[in-house]
Amino acid sequence: MVSPFTLNGKKAPSLITWMWGAGLITIWVLFSPSSLLIFALGMLPSLVAFFIDRTDHKYAVYCVSGLNFCGTLPFLLKLTADHSLSAAMEIMGDVFTIAIIFAAAGFGWMLFLSIPPVITAFLTVITETRVKSLKTIQQRIVHEWGGSVIEENGSNKGMHTDVEDPTEANEGTPAVPE
Amino acid sequence: MAEQPLETDDIVDALPKDMEEIFKPADVPAENTPTPRGDGNGPVVLRDRFVLDTAIPLPHLDSPSARAYQAEDRRDLGRKLFVLICSPEIPTRIDSIRKQKTLDPSGRLDIIDWDVVFWPPLGQSTMAIIFTQPLGGRVIHRLTRKEAKITEYDVPQKLATPLTTILQKLADQDAPHRAIRPENIFFNDEEMTEIVIGENLTSPPGYDQPCIFEPIERAMSHPAGRGVGTSRDDIYALGVTIGILVLGQNPVAKLKDDDLIRARLEQSSYTVIFGNSPIPLPLLKPIQGMLNDDPAARWDFNEITNWLDGQRTSSSKKRPYAFEKAENPYLFQGKEYISPRSLAYHFAQKIPDSVAAGREEAFDTWLLRSLGNKAMSEAVKGVYQNAKFHSQGYRGSESYISFILCMILDPLGPIRYKNIAFMPDGYGPLLATEVLHNNNKPFASEILSYDIGQTWLANHHPPFPGTSDLQKNLSALKGFLAIKDLGYGLERVLYEINTSLPCHSPLVLYDYVLLIDHLLPAMERSASTADTSQRPVDRHIAAFIAARFKEDIHPHLKSLGSKTQNTSIIGLLSLLAFLQWKLREQPLLGLSSWIGGLLGPAINSYHNRITRGDLEKEIPRLVRKGSLPELFDLVDNAKRRNEDISGYEEAKNEWLAAEEEIQDIEGAGDARITKAERAGQQTAAVFSIIITLSVVIGLMIVQPW
Repeated sequence: MVSPFTLNGKKAPSLITWMWGAGLITIWVLFSPSSLLIFALGMLPSLVAFFIDRTDHKYAVYCVSGLNFCGTLPFLLKLTADHSLSAAMEIMGDVFTIAIIFAAAGFGWMLFLSIPPVITAFLTVITETRVKSLKTIQQRIVHEWGGSVIEENGSNKGMHTDVEDPTEANEGTPAVPE
Repeated sequence: MAEQPLETDDIVDALPKDMEEIFKPADVPAENTPTPRGDGNGPVVLRDRFVLDTAIPLPHLDSPSARAYQAEDRRDLGRKLFVLICSPEIPTRIDSIRKQKTLDPSGRLDIIDWDVVFWPPLGQSTMAIIFTQPLGGRVIHRLTRKEAKITEYDVPQKLATPLTTILQKLADQDAPHRAIRPENIFFNDEEMTEIVIGENLTSPPGYDQPCIFEPIERAMSHPAGRGVGTSRDDIYALGVTIGILVLGQNPVAKLKDDDLIRARLEQSSYTVIFGNSPIPLPLLKPIQGMLNDDPAARWDFNEITNWLDGQRTSSSKKRPYAFEKAENPYLFQGKEYISPRSLAYHFAQKIPDSVAAGREEAFDTWLLRSLGNKAMSEAVKGVYQNAKFHSQGYRGSESYISFILCMILDPLGPIRYKNIAFMPDGYGPLLATEVLHNNNKPFASEILSYDIGQTWLANHHPPFPGTSDLQKNLSALKGFLAIKDLGYGLERVLYEINTSLPCHSPLVLYDYVLLIDHLLPAMERSASTADTSQRPVDRHIAAFIAARFKEDIHPHLKSLGSKTQNTSIIGLLSLLAFLQWKLREQPLLGLSSWIGGLLGPAINSYHNRITRGDLEKEIPRLVRKGSLPELFDLVDNAKRRNEDISGYEEAKNEWLAAEEEIQDIEGAGDARITKAERAGQQTAAVFSIIITLSVVIGLMIVQPW
């Protein structure tokens, strides 16, 4: 019996799913083998992306397959004029067609590779701004209430107490006129 | 004014070294003594009415503890007055002064007025009591110079009647005179027809009395510890005084005090003093009755009145005191003793030797065979057994054994402890003398700590007059002594038991602060000369306030005695502010400035630095107003204090929340980057799907079906 779980703990597609898939493809072959041919050949970059992207969420697959489909769809629509297998072969035999489909898929790869660093940089800037703001608040508290605020919290909670208290030095007794 | 919680010990502790010195408590600021006012002669004005002339002393009116000077009443220049300037070192009898001021003056020197004045010849303030001058001078001087004569027939009417009348009045006021002696009897008029008694106010009761004029148990006591006594003690002194005035001389003047006391103990006072003198027959019985060494058998005012009225006296009162005598003498340090009382008197002076002698078989044999007193013998044995049992404690000490031994041998004698003898009602002045002049604090403390007085009172038969009150007082004093904080301790005992004792703080010593109302003005004066880095309240001032100020100052003292600097300084300020407020004292600029300069720890007790800054700016303004209550309200305002505490808590929580968030952010590290990358990938995926959908929809729309 086949185990329902893979080694990395992910649930593998069940037999019924496989059967459903096989059934759909069979129906597709019977009714429109030309579109299946274009789709199968056109969506190869997405299949590659599926195997390359080992993450759980498969964001690369989303990016590549989406744009890959955008590149394939216009040629699928051409079959509305001539829905024959030879027309499909003619379309896919054109280098320009292949170039467009693969370029679209490449654009998907480009999106997947270029957007995360931008977002990361953006989030880092936001975080650093927040830390700076929090440290300013702490400085204000220490300035107003003294270093004992840090010491008590530090001793109680095991915090680091390296925040500088600019006014910790005793200010002495008030000047009293004689 | 409850103590507020203070939480800035760490800040105070973090003071620089030079400031720590400033905030150290000044319990005994020995060097912090204000400069005494410069001397200079000239008149001193008392209550804007009486002019006291420092240049005209009247030595013939001097008292043993006070010098006499001429005084003048501005409103009645014809009135002959004199002032007694009391010795600042000796406690006066302020209660008696107040009582006598309201009493009919006939029969005694009339008190015109009294107050504390600055006396230039002494260079300090002291008590001044103004009296009318007795124009006829001292009786004994007139008799000695043969300018007057008192025969045995004159005694009842001229001498005994006026003296008895005034003594009875004083006794009715519960203020026995205790200074009856020939030198203190005056002719009030130049014609020498009216006799009055002199003052008894410038020293503790019996303090100035030669021991011949004191009943035997008080004669054996330290002059300061002779006690207030009763009218019986006055009657004894009156008897001796009458006898000497009639004889014109003291028959035992050449006898040393020790010898006189020993003789009196072994033969009775009358026998020793007048036994060999030609006392006129009509006066024999009265003097014998008045000199009876048994206080219960001594004549009282009824007997004297009967005698003055010519009536017979009751036979029981005629019996002389029966002395307990041994058949054979006991030899102690080369001297023979026949009476246990005289032996106790000398035992108390030689403690180690007497304790050793008491252990010997010979002493027990003497008690059993010569004295025939088995109970005394058993009691002495019990003392040593008890001492053996308590050998590690004070009950096993030689001083305590000696005290008990002397009490057994002479139950009617004074308390004898560590070479000092005193009556329980004389403990106050004795304490003042021993602590302030002889620096004998251990003695004074042990009397209370070891229940010496209580033990003596419990063993005194018949009960000593006022035993229950004395026991109550001693218990209360022991309680004060047990607390070591400011406002308690031996100093508190000193001022509680001596209502006439001025404050002995070095800060106000020269101002003779007798009443609580005088304290703040004296401290204000000392502020200009004292070392203001020291605190203005030392142990003496705190104890003086606690004893004299009739308001509940316990919370202030508790705060003042705190080991935390800021609590202590706020306690000091609150105490003095309460005093100024209650006594409606005038502005105290110097004292405010002094305390204002010490408020550093109190200000630092606030957490909020803005509040501290505000206080520091505000203090000089209030100092210039001289108002301690306002200063206190500024420094320890409850609302401000609570706001500070709650604000501090909020600040701590806010700081902690910020710190936790920072740690969350900074501590995340690679996880944060991973998270950001994932967000980027999600964004890319979503972006891709949007493009796909747009393209699909666009193509579907433009597709020419």
